[in-house]
Amino acid sequence: MNIKKIVKKIDNYFDLSQKKQDEKKQKLLDILEKLMDKKLSIQKEIKKASSKKDKDELNLELKAIKNLIKKASIE
Amino acid sequence: MKRFLIPPLFLLFSYFIISNDNAKVIVAGIAIFLIGMHFMENGFKLFSGGTLEKILAKFTSSTPKSIATGFVSTSIVQSSSLTSIVMISFLSAGLIGLTQAIGVIFGSNLGSTTTAWIVAYFGFKVKISVYAMPMIIFGVVFKFATDSRYKGVGYILLGLGFIFLGISYMKEGFDALKNSIDLASYAIDGYVGILIFVLIGAIATVVIQSSAATMAIIITALAGGQILYISALALAIGANIGTTVTAIIGASTSNEEGKRLAAAHLIFNFITAFIALLFIYQLSTFVDLLSEFIGIDPNSYILKLALFHTVFNILGILLVSPFIGIMVNFLNKLFIPKVKKSSKPKFLNDAVIQVPETAIHALRKEVINLYDKSLKAVIHAMNLHREDIFSNKKLKDIVHTSNRKINTNIDEIYKETLKSLYSEIIRFSSLSQKHMTHEERTTVGSLKTASRKIVKSVKEIKELQKNINHFSQGKNSDIKYEYNLLREQLAYTLREIETLRKDEINEIDRLTKMETIKIKIDEFDAATNEKIDDLIRTNKIDARMATSLINDASFASHICVRLVEIANIMWIDDKEFQKIGEDNEY
Repeated sequence: MNIKKIVKKIDNYFDLSQKKQDEKKQKLLDILEKLMDKKLSIQKEIKKASSKKDKDELNLELKAIKNLIKKASIE
Repeated sequence: MKRFLIPPLFLLFSYFIISNDNAKVIVAGIAIFLIGMHFMENGFKLFSGGTLEKILAKFTSSTPKSIATGFVSTSIVQSSSLTSIVMISFLSAGLIGLTQAIGVIFGSNLGSTTTAWIVAYFGFKVKISVYAMPMIIFGVVFKFATDSRYKGVGYILLGLGFIFLGISYMKEGFDALKNSIDLASYAIDGYVGILIFVLIGAIATVVIQSSAATMAIIITALAGGQILYISALALAIGANIGTTVTAIIGASTSNEEGKRLAAAHLIFNFITAFIALLFIYQLSTFVDLLSEFIGIDPNSYILKLALFHTVFNILGILLVSPFIGIMVNFLNKLFIPKVKKSSKPKFLNDAVIQVPETAIHALRKEVINLYDKSLKAVIHAMNLHREDIFSNKKLKDIVHTSNRKINTNIDEIYKETLKSLYSEIIRFSSLSQKHMTHEERTTVGSLKTASRKIVKSVKEIKELQKNINHFSQGKNSDIKYEYNLLREQLAYTLREIETLRKDEINEIDRLTKMETIKIKIDEFDAATNEKIDDLIRTNKIDARMATSLINDASFASHICVRLVEIANIMWIDDKEFQKIGEDNEY
C-alpha cells in the first residue's frame, strides 16, 4: 500500500476526505439557508405583532436566530 | 450438587469419546459445527453494520410483515438467537412493540428451518468438505483485515467452512457407526417411542444450546440409517422445544420486555410442538404428498425431514398468529415491571455491545434514564415538585409558594442510584466503542459527556441546596427573594427543556429554543450580578450573604447552561445541528 492510499484511509477514518468535507459544507449551507428563512419570517411577525409581550418574545427569538447564524457561519 | 456432578459426568463423557472412535468423530463434528455457528454469528454482527437492525426496525409495521422480516433475516444470518438478541434490545429500548417483536420471533423460528434445508440439500448432494478448507483458509486471511466489513466476511467464511467441516465429520461418524451398531433397532413403536425421541431431541438441544446443530445431527443420523424417519420427525419436534431453553436463559437476566418475549417464544414452540406431536402421522402423510407435489424423491427422507420441520413451523404460525393480541395482553399482566427504586440500567444489555447501532440507541435511552432520575433529585433539592414545574402554572407563583424544605439527601441518591448507573453507562460505552466506526465513537463520546454533565449538575445542586434551605428559612427577605429567583431560573430551564424534549418540533426550532434559553440565562446572570452590587451598596445583605449569593448564582447559571448542553446531545440527532448548538465547556 502506498502513502497516498494510507493517507486516504486515515482521511476516511477521521472524516477528513474531500467528499465528506463537501457533504458537511453543503449541509451547513442548507442549515444556514433554513436559519435565514426563519429570520425573515420572524422579522415579518415582529412587524405584525401588536402586544409588547409578543414583540419581546419574537425579539428574543430573533436574537437567538442571529446567534445561530453567526455560529453556523463560523463553522 | 451441580459442582459435584460435573467432574464425574465430564470423566464419563471423556471415557465415552475416547473408547469409541465413531463417537469421537461425531462429537468432534458437533463441536466444529458449533464453532462454525459462533463464527458466523460474530461475522454478521460485524458485517451488518446496523443493516439487520435497520431492516428489523423498518419492516415490522404489521404482524405479517414482522413474521416475513423475522423469516428473511434469520434465513440470511442463520441465527435465530442473533435475531432474538436484537429484538430484545429493540423492545427494551422501546423501538418496537411486543406484538411486532413476537411476529419477528415467529418468523425467525421459521427462518431457522432453512438450516435443515442447507444441511439436507448441500450436505448430502454436494461433497461440502471440499469447499470447507478453502473457506477456512480465506476466512482466516480476511479475518486479519483491519476493515470491519472484510473482517465480517472472514468470520462468515470461517463459520461456513467450520459448519461444512462439522457436517462432514458427523456424516463420516454416523456412516462408520452404521457398521458397528444399529441404533434404529432400538426404536420403540407407537406414541411411547415418539415421546421418548421428543424428549431426547429436547435434551440434546438444551445441552448443545443450538437447534440448528441438533437438526444437523438428526439429518446426518437419518442419512446414516441410525434412526427411523418417524423417530427423526419426533427428534425435530423435540429440538423445537429444547431451543426455547436458550431463550429462557437469555431472558432471565433481561428486563420484563425480554421475559415477555421469551415467554411468547416458549408458548409458540410448545403449542406448535404439541400440535405436531398430536398429528405426527397425519403430518407425515401430508409431507409425503407435498414432497411428491414439489418433486422430492419419496426415498429422500432427509429432504422430507427438512420439509416436515418447515411445515409444522408454518402450521404453528398459522394457528398461533391470530392470537398474538391475546398473548400480548396475557404476558403484559404476567410480567409487570417492578417500580421499586433501582440503580440497575434499564436499557443496557451486554448482548448488544457488538451491534453498534442498537448499542448507541440503548445507550442514548439509558442516558435519558439517568437524566430523568437526576432531574427528580435536582427538583427536590430546590424544594420544588416535578408536577408543578411541568404544569402551566406561573413559575414565580410556584417558587414563592413552595418554600417548605423537602428532605432530599443528594449524597445518598448519588451513591445509591446515580453512581452505579453512571458507572454502567461508562462501562458499556467503553466496551461498545471497540466495535464502532469513528463517527459512531464520536456519538458514544458525546453521550458519555452528557452523562458526566448530568452527574456534575447533581453534585453542584447539592452546594446550592444548603443555602436555599438556609436563606429560605431566614429573616432577610431580600436574600430570600434572590434565592427564589435562582430557583425560578433553574425551574424555567427545566420546563423549557421538557417542552423541547416532548414537542414534535423540527431541529431548527429546537435549536432556536435552546439558544433562547441560553440568552435568557445570560440575561438573568447579568441582572443578578448587578443586583448583588446594589444590595451590598444599600446594606440589604451582608458580605457573607453576598459571597454565598455570588457563588450560588454562578452554580445555578452553570447548571442551567449544562442542562441545555445535555439537551443538545440527547435531543438533537443531526451532528451538524449539534455542533452549532454546542457551547463552552462547563
